[in-house]
Amino acid sequence: MAELPGKGLVHGLKVTFDNLTRRSITQQYPDVKPDLPPRTRGVIALFEENCTVCMLCARECPSWCIYIDSHKETAQPSEPGARERSHNVLDRFAIDYSLCMYCGICVEVCPFDALFWSPEFEYATTDIADLTHEKDTLREWMWTVPAPPAVDDGAEPPKELGVAEKAAARVRPRSEEDARSGPEAGA
Amino acid sequence: MSTVRVLFVLLGAVAVGSALLVVTTRQIVHAALWLVVTLGALAGCFLLLTAEFVAWVQVLIYVGAVVVLLLFALMLTRAPTRPDPAARTPNAWFAAVVAAAVAGVLVTTLVAGFSGAVIDLDRAEIGGARVTGGAVFSTWVLPFEVLSVLLLAALVGAIVLSRRDVPNRPRDAEAARDTEPARDADDRERSSS
Amino acid sequence: MADVLELLLRVGCVFVAFLVLPLLVGQTEHKVMAHMQGRLGPMYAGGFHGWAQLVADGVKFAQKEDIVPANADRRVFQLAPVLALIPYLVALVAIPLAPGLVGAELETGLFFVLAVMGIGVLGSLMGGWASANKYSLLGAFRSAGQLLAYELPFVLAAASVAMAAGTLSLTGIVEAWQPWWLLWQLPGMLVFFVAGLAELHRPPFDMPVADAEIIFGPYTEYTGIRFALFLLAEYAGIVVLAALTTVLFLGGWHGPFSDALGWLWTLLKAFAVAFVVIWVRVAYPRLRSDQLQRLGWQVLVPLALVQLALTGVVSVVIS
Repeated sequence: MAELPGKGLVHGLKVTFDNLTRRSITQQYPDVKPDLPPRTRGVIALFEENCTVCMLCARECPSWCIYIDSHKETAQPSEPGARERSHNVLDRFAIDYSLCMYCGICVEVCPFDALFWSPEFEYATTDIADLTHEKDTLREWMWTVPAPPAVDDGAEPPKELGVAEKAAARVRPRSEEDARSGPEAGA
Repeated sequence: MSTVRVLFVLLGAVAVGSALLVVTTRQIVHAALWLVVTLGALAGCFLLLTAEFVAWVQVLIYVGAVVVLLLFALMLTRAPTRPDPAARTPNAWFAAVVAAAVAGVLVTTLVAGFSGAVIDLDRAEIGGARVTGGAVFSTWVLPFEVLSVLLLAALVGAIVLSRRDVPNRPRDAEAARDTEPARDADDRERSSS
Repeated sequence: MADVLELLLRVGCVFVAFLVLPLLVGQTEHKVMAHMQGRLGPMYAGGFHGWAQLVADGVKFAQKEDIVPANADRRVFQLAPVLALIPYLVALVAIPLAPGLVGAELETGLFFVLAVMGIGVLGSLMGGWASANKYSLLGAFRSAGQLLAYELPFVLAAASVAMAAGTLSLTGIVEAWQPWWLLWQLPGMLVFFVAGLAELHRPPFDMPVADAEIIFGPYTEYTGIRFALFLLAEYAGIVVLAALTTVLFLGGWHGPFSDALGWLWTLLKAFAVAFVVIWVRVAYPRLRSDQLQRLGWQVLVPLALVQLALTGVVSVVIS
């Protein structure tokens, strides 16, 4: 209680003056790009080559903002007497970012690693209709997806890596006799 | 006619004209603002008469404080921004007559007292603080002290009026008288039941 | 003829100072306030650290439509900003930068400046009443109440220095000033500075324009160039207050090499005071109306009276 009168006032002045001598924390955004943390959820990018039109993402999307159109194509049998193989061809893949709530469920459920989070965030538009982005834009954003952050020292390597290496080992001996390998094998 | 004389007449005309507007305007806040013009013109007259100190004190006290107080009080009323029909009184003619009579008395007194007094502007001492102070505290010390006592009385009066803990104020006594019969009636009712 | 030319030159210089210094103070406020809050402040206008921000603001204000509310008292409404601004320009004329470097040498310069500063408040009163807006009127009330409380200690503190120096001339006061007056007149200086802040409605005494309560007080209905004039009046007021504090209490042009660089000393000291004005704005929250009145009447007025008595006693002892 026996404080000097006006101590609080002087302290107030000191706090503001200390702030004056410190560097300000303002981000000069349009001039200096922000240093975003890893796994930033900016926009969802589509790695079109991996998509098999399984529709899981569209079905799981809570806000129903993913639109997918496709048709089936039948490929000629690779060996005589074999059965015809049919596969889906993606015609349209669009995400309406005016509906998207950036929950990331589509990225999580995609079994073929076709959807990725990108830190890109500068896609504001002046018209709400322009926020529906088609697959070509989504594919372009794929280039902005950063490499996954490195795991900690001594941690076991990610499962995907092991799977991919095994697949690669399986494919390599075959690749001499079979020049054409499926796109799934490369993933 | 010298420049000073022309200026003095002009300022005098402004002072009188705006003073007339003070009492004739239908907007009560305008009256206070015209008063500013009057007082300013008066300060200008003081300046021309070499009473520099008095002029600035006039501005400081009257424009800076008295008119502000006046405006403050006026804004507490319901002063409208449009001409106010209630600002006209049937007693205006009577007031005008009284004002003219007072003005006549004052002018007669001043002319009788100072009609021969002439200030030679070229040789007159500038009325700074030293000269004014010397005059106030030597020649005019009695009126000065009387005014001080008057102001002190006003000050004490204001304090007495605004204090709530002074007993036996007439208003308090009245209030007490107003509530007493009611309490008596209450008591009587209670005793009878 | 030479006299007239010299007078014109002096008035011209004062006018230029009147246009430049408030902008300088305003820009300093932008920057200092921003950095005290961990921000950068304006960075774009003019290229280098937003130096032209206030010029850009002025251009913007000049382009805006000049609106007078339908119920307003037109003439008074339009006159108010001018009446708020002009007194500070006039006051600046009498403030000396260095011996001889003054717009107009007045024997009663101190009273002149104080009297003229008192007129400035009429502008916000007129604006507040003429707007025909309840918030404006409330702001005008607060403005008048504040002025009545703070004008007295303001003048008393200034009178203390005048007593110490034995003159009302601002140049004379600075010439009589000695370094130990800093200590002798310290209470007076604090009272003068605080009361000056209150007169200018600067935070923490900005209750008349408290934006969270009454929008912008007396200036609520103003737009465009008239609003800009009110803002300019505030910053011109800071310049006048800072210069006056410097001249009265901080010894004006006294300092090393004061023969050649006296004017620089005055300007530097005035800017230091202006910095404190900004600093105080950032550091303290707004005072409530009862706190404001209590500070004025129960602290500043007695303090000013004590200072006056002290000055009188010490002056008599010295002489």
